[in-house]
Amino acid sequence: MIKIPIAKKNKLFINILKLTGYVAIAILVLFLITLIFNSFLSIKTLSLQFLFNTNWQPNTKNFGAAPFIIGTLLTSVLALMISIPFSLSISIYIGYFLKNKKRKNTLETLMDLLAGIPSVIYGFWGLMVLVPVIIKIQAWLGIIPYGVGILAASLILALMIIPYSVTLGKDIINLVPNDLVEAAIGLGATPYEVIKHIAIPYSLSGLFAGHLMAFGRAISETMAVTMVIGNRNFIPTSIMDPANTLASVIANEFGEASDPLYVSSLIELGLILLVITTIINIIGKLIVKAYTIEPR
Amino acid sequence: MNPDKSNLKKRLLKNNVFYQSIKLFSYALLIPLAFILFYIIKNGISYLNLDFLIKMPAPVGETGGGALNAIIGSFLIVGLSGLIAVPLGILIGIFLAEFKEHKINDLTRLSIETLQGIPSIIYGIVAYVWFVMPFGKFSGISASIALALMMLPMVAKATEESMKMIPYTLKEASYALGANYYSTIKKVILPSCRKGIISGILIGISRILGETAPLLFTAFGNAFLNFNMAKPINALPLLIYNYASSPYQEWHQIAWSSSLFLIIIVLGLSIIAKNVIK
Amino acid sequence: MKKDTILTVENLEISVKKNKIIKNISLSFYKNNVTAIMGPSGCGKTTLIRALNRMHDLDKSFKVKGSITFDTQNLLKSDPILVRQQIGMVFQRPNPFPNMSIYENVLAGYILNGIKLSKDEKDSIVDINLKKVGLYDEVSDNIHRKGSHLSGGQQQRLCIARTLAMKPKVLLLDEPTSALDPKATTRIENLINELKKEVSIIMVTHNIEQASRVSDYTAFLYLGDLIEYNTTETIFTVPKDKRTEEYLSRKYG
Repeated sequence: MIKIPIAKKNKLFINILKLTGYVAIAILVLFLITLIFNSFLSIKTLSLQFLFNTNWQPNTKNFGAAPFIIGTLLTSVLALMISIPFSLSISIYIGYFLKNKKRKNTLETLMDLLAGIPSVIYGFWGLMVLVPVIIKIQAWLGIIPYGVGILAASLILALMIIPYSVTLGKDIINLVPNDLVEAAIGLGATPYEVIKHIAIPYSLSGLFAGHLMAFGRAISETMAVTMVIGNRNFIPTSIMDPANTLASVIANEFGEASDPLYVSSLIELGLILLVITTIINIIGKLIVKAYTIEPR
Repeated sequence: MNPDKSNLKKRLLKNNVFYQSIKLFSYALLIPLAFILFYIIKNGISYLNLDFLIKMPAPVGETGGGALNAIIGSFLIVGLSGLIAVPLGILIGIFLAEFKEHKINDLTRLSIETLQGIPSIIYGIVAYVWFVMPFGKFSGISASIALALMMLPMVAKATEESMKMIPYTLKEASYALGANYYSTIKKVILPSCRKGIISGILIGISRILGETAPLLFTAFGNAFLNFNMAKPINALPLLIYNYASSPYQEWHQIAWSSSLFLIIIVLGLSIIAKNVIK
Repeated sequence: MKKDTILTVENLEISVKKNKIIKNISLSFYKNNVTAIMGPSGCGKTTLIRALNRMHDLDKSFKVKGSITFDTQNLLKSDPILVRQQIGMVFQRPNPFPNMSIYENVLAGYILNGIKLSKDEKDSIVDINLKKVGLYDEVSDNIHRKGSHLSGGQQQRLCIARTLAMKPKVLLLDEPTSALDPKATTRIENLINELKKEVSIIMVTHNIEQASRVSDYTAFLYLGDLIEYNTTETIFTVPKDKRTEEYLSRKYG
C-alpha cells in the first residue's frame, strides 16, 4: 500500500473557502455602513427636505438634491429613449434574423467595441467632437450655445448603454420557441407579423428587464456625463441646458469639499444613487430569473 | 378561397419596410463608432511613439512628451488590484459553486451581484473614506482597493460559471483515487476551468484599466513620476480626464494619444479574453 | 471450491431520506475473482458498488447502516481516503482528467495525493500500467499529449490504468462498457480476465451476456434485495429464484 502524506491543508482550505463567503458579505455590508454612517450628518441636519430642496449652494450651506435627481432622471430617460430604436432593432436583427448566421458576428463585435470603450474616452470625444457640433446647431437655432448639457450627455449615454440592452435582448428573442415561430410561419405570417404577434409579446418582460438594467447603467454612469453635461447645479428647464447628475456632481465636487456637511451631503447623494441603481438591478434580475424559469 | 392580393401586397411591403429599417438602425451604429475611433486614431496616432511611452508630459507651451507617469501609475494600480481581486475572487467563486448547501451561499451570491451593480463613483467614495481620510492623503493603494473591489465580482462570477461547466464525473474520479477535497479542486477542477477564469480575469483587468471615477478621490493624479503607492499617483484615465478639461492644445494632444493607447490595450485585452475561451 | 474472501458485506442498508435503496444485504466477495452485480435499473446495484469505496460520502443524503469488512476493518468506519486508495473505482463514462496528459493521468492518484516520485519511478509506473491495459503501444508516441483525443475505449482503459497505478486490492467497475462500442467492450472484457490475477474485481453490469462472459460469481439484485448470489455458472444454468429466471429469460428472449 502506498503511504499518503496526511494533507492538513484540506481542512484549512475548506475553512478559508467558507471564510471568503463571509468576506464577500462583509464587504457589501461595510460598503453600506460606510455610506450610511458618513451621510448621517447630512441626513440628520437636512432631513427629508434634502430630497426636495432645489438649491445647491455649498457657500451658504444650503444643500438640496432635487436638481441632481431631476438631472439624472432627465438625462437617463432621454438616453434610454434615444437608445431604444437601436437596441430593439439590433436585438431583433441578431436574435431573430441572424440567429445562426456568420454576419451576426459583425454586429456582436460592434456591440463589444461600444461596450469596451472606457467611459472617460467617450467623455473626451464628446467634449472635443460632439459638443462643438451641438454648439453650432444651438447657435443656428438661436438659443444660448452652451454645447455641453443634457442633450450631449444623453446622446453619449445612449451610445454607451445600447450594448447593455442588446446583450440580454438578443438572447431573450433567441429564446422564443422555434415551434411557435414555425407555427406562425406555417399559417402564412410574414417575419414582421411573427415578430409583432409572437416574438415581441413572448419576450416582452425580458426586453423590458434588459432596458431597465441599461437605464440603471445610464443613471450610474459618471465620467462621460461629468465631462459633457456642463456641471450646473440648477434644475434644468430644457434638454439644451447644462445640468448635473447625482454621479457627476460627486465626481466634480467631492475632491474639493472640505466642510463636513458638504462632504456628508455629497455622500448622501451617493447613497441615493446606490439605492436607486440597486433597486433597478434587483427588479431587472428578478424579471430575468422569472423569465428563465417560466415554462414555455 | 380567394386570397386578397392587394392585402398581401400591403403586408409584404410592411414586412419589407420593417426589415430594412431594423437593418438600418442596426448598422447605423457603425457611424458613431467609426467617428469615435476615427478621431481618436487621427488625433492620437501622431504622438503615439516611443517618446509617449518613455517620456513625461511636456510642460505647457512645449510640444512632444509622453505619459510615462500615467502608464506606470496605471500599471501599478491595476497590478495591485489584480493581486487582491484574483485570489479572493477565485476563492469566492469556488465557494459559490461548491458550497451550495451552505447557509450563507445565497447571501454571498446576492452580495457579489449587488457589488457588481454598484456605480463606480461609489467605489471611489468608499475607498476615500476607508483609506484616504484616515491617512490624510491620496494614495495609489486606496485606488487599488477601489478597483480591486470592482474587479472582485467579475472574477468570482467567472470562476463560478466555469466551475459549473465541469462535469461531476471528474470530481468523482478524483475522489475515487483517494484524493481529498483540496487536491481535487487544486489539481483537477481549477486546471480544468483555467480558460474561463483567465478570460474572466482579463475582462476584469480591461474593465478596471479604463475606470476613472473611482480614481478621482483616491489616486488623485500626480504630475510627476511616482512609484510610491502610498502617495498620489497618476493613471491613464485620470490623465485623459484632467488634460481633456485643460485649455492647452498640447495637453489635449497627450490626452488623445493616451486615449488611443488605452483603447488599444483595453480592446486588445478583451479580444484576447474572448479568444482564450475558444 | 473454497475461496478467500476479500470483502464481506453484512446487513448493509442504504437509504436516501425515507427511501430504502439497499435493504439489509449480506454477501462476501472473493479474492482474485470477478463478481458481477446485475439487476434491472433501480435495483440498487450502483448504490451498492459505490458504497464499497465510500463514494456515497459525496452525497450527504445517503444514510448507511451495517458493515463492510475489508482487511479485518469495517471500511464504513475507516478514513474514506485510505479506503478509496485500496479499493479503486472506474466509472460508466470514461473520465480522464482533461487538464492532464496521458502520462499524468496514469499518475493522477499520486499527483492528487501529493506523493513525490522520482522521474524513474514515474516512468516505470506509467509504463507498467499502460502495458497492463494494452495502451502502451497505442499511445507511446504521444504520451505527453492530453488524453481527450483518445477513443472512448482507449480513454476507459486509461482510466483503468490510472486506478491500477494506485495498486488497489479491489477494482470496482460501474458498468465500464456501457458507453463503448462492441469492439472496445470486448477489449475491456478480455482485460478484466487478465487483471483478476492481481486484483479482485467487482463489476456492475446491466448486460447479462457480459456477466456470463466475464464473471466467476454473480449477484442478482432486485428492488434493493439480494435475490440470489452464486457462481455465475449456477445462476445462469439453474437459478433458484423465479425472479432471477424471469430476468434472465426476458433479456435472453
